[in-house]
Amino acid sequence: MPALNAEILGITALSLRIAVTATVAACAIGVPIGFWLGGTRFQGRRGALLVLNTALAFPTVVIGLLLYLLLSRHGPLGGLGLLFTWRAIVVAEVILAAPIAAALTAAAVQSVDPRVRRTALTLGAGPLAAAWAVAREARFALAAGVVVAFGRVLSEVGAAMIVGGNIRGETRTLTTAVALATSQGQFSLAVGLGLVLLALALTVNVLIQLLQGRDDA
Amino acid sequence: MLEARGLRHVYERRMVLALEHLSLQAGTRLALVGPNGSGKSTLLRLLAFLEAPAAGEMTLAGRPVRTGRERRAARQRVTLVEQRPYLFRGTVLANVAYPLRLRGTPGAAAAAAARGALDRLHLGVLAGRAARALSDGEIQRVAVARALAATPDVLLLDEAASAADRASQHALFAAVAEEQARRPLAVCFASHLLEEAYRWSNDLLALHQGVSVPVTPENLFRVELPAGGGMQPVAVGGVTLDVVCDRGGPATLAIPPEEIVLSREPLHSSARNCLPGRVVRIAEQGAAVRVTLDAGVELVALVTRRSVEEMGIALGATLFASFKTVAIRVF
Repeated sequence: MPALNAEILGITALSLRIAVTATVAACAIGVPIGFWLGGTRFQGRRGALLVLNTALAFPTVVIGLLLYLLLSRHGPLGGLGLLFTWRAIVVAEVILAAPIAAALTAAAVQSVDPRVRRTALTLGAGPLAAAWAVAREARFALAAGVVVAFGRVLSEVGAAMIVGGNIRGETRTLTTAVALATSQGQFSLAVGLGLVLLALALTVNVLIQLLQGRDDA
Repeated sequence: MLEARGLRHVYERRMVLALEHLSLQAGTRLALVGPNGSGKSTLLRLLAFLEAPAAGEMTLAGRPVRTGRERRAARQRVTLVEQRPYLFRGTVLANVAYPLRLRGTPGAAAAAAARGALDRLHLGVLAGRAARALSDGEIQRVAVARALAATPDVLLLDEAASAADRASQHALFAAVAEEQARRPLAVCFASHLLEEAYRWSNDLLALHQGVSVPVTPENLFRVELPAGGGMQPVAVGGVTLDVVCDRGGPATLAIPPEEIVLSREPLHSSARNCLPGRVVRIAEQGAAVRVTLDAGVELVALVTRRSVEEMGIALGATLFASFKTVAIRVF
């Protein structure tokens, strides 16, 4: 039993490491794009938002497959030696979560009163300071976007399975471990892992609710 | 300080502003008057360098402002308080300190200066309050304090006192006037309240449908002129006026308030227009008095205080407003 607990702990730690790294990277890419799409008027903006919203519904196994082809030994990025490492999972999750971060940021920025930017500008703010003023007004909606991206990364299984390979102690995450344990009939392990995943998902959703509650206030 | 020439602005392919010349100098307190949709807010947004005009030349302190970068620099010295100003989340004090923090003033010094700005508008008690918890009138005054804290060279106010009660309105404009007495500052404020405009301005620009009109916006009427030249009866609201015009179609009639003669009995004179009406408003304007008659349409007449006293003009009294056909301007 202690060995089982140690394994669950190790898998949980790896899952969190992947989820946190991928969320940070996805937000670093997605949030500025969301700001740009939500806050500026340019030709083709509606088209860009459409592409972004389509990216939200992109099947994760397809992303896993494309990334697999890119990263496999004979693929164009095979030389990086990323396939079947936790970093490959991070890359896949970033591709999945960056559109979420961007779309939710764009929505958050669009929902901010247009007077915020004008007010900051007329009081002497430059474009960056004005964007910061907008971000401050939308901070709870933006934080909720980050949490949603984190939840998505944490619960993703298809791409993680394909590019990570579900290698014990290396790339086995909570979701891929549940899938494997179930297929092997190790139901106690599967249920244990599932409970951890549920607890994390619950925490994430409580956070979202708290943030949305603050935003309404 | 701030000058604009040949200013044109287009919104959804419609010309919404066409102004030949506007100059705001230190000490100027220009009132923009005109009905809703006359272009006041558009003009203020252009003067605040928040938008680029479709055409025209704008200069600040003698230097042309054309590019986005130049507008950005100009916004450091020109600030606008919108009709429904926005206060950021946080306290009133943090809001008023915001422009100072933007300019690199350290926290404590910015807070002290912000308190000073609030005190000048008698708003010191609000400093610690959450900005979201204020009434509309308070929000407007805090926004003016915040604009003053930015120490602009040009202060633009768009109906800044529209939600304020009389005392607050007085405090607001008095604070602006005091600031002007203390340092070089040009002020331009839009108002649809003429009494407010006359009382606090030292210059007046009347706008009507985006263009400067040579008269005050009182007694301005949109009409449909009948085709044909010469003198014509023209329907204005519920009354008919004799108007001299050389064209037909839509036009604006203006009757200068100083051209209207008030009398207790109908005048038998060369003035072809003589309308009975009830006195609905009486307001002082310097040594003169503006008397508003409801004659089917509202007509404002400018008369001397002596005339008001001698004729015993009071609210509700019925008077006759007479004016010559040639006094009516058509444009």
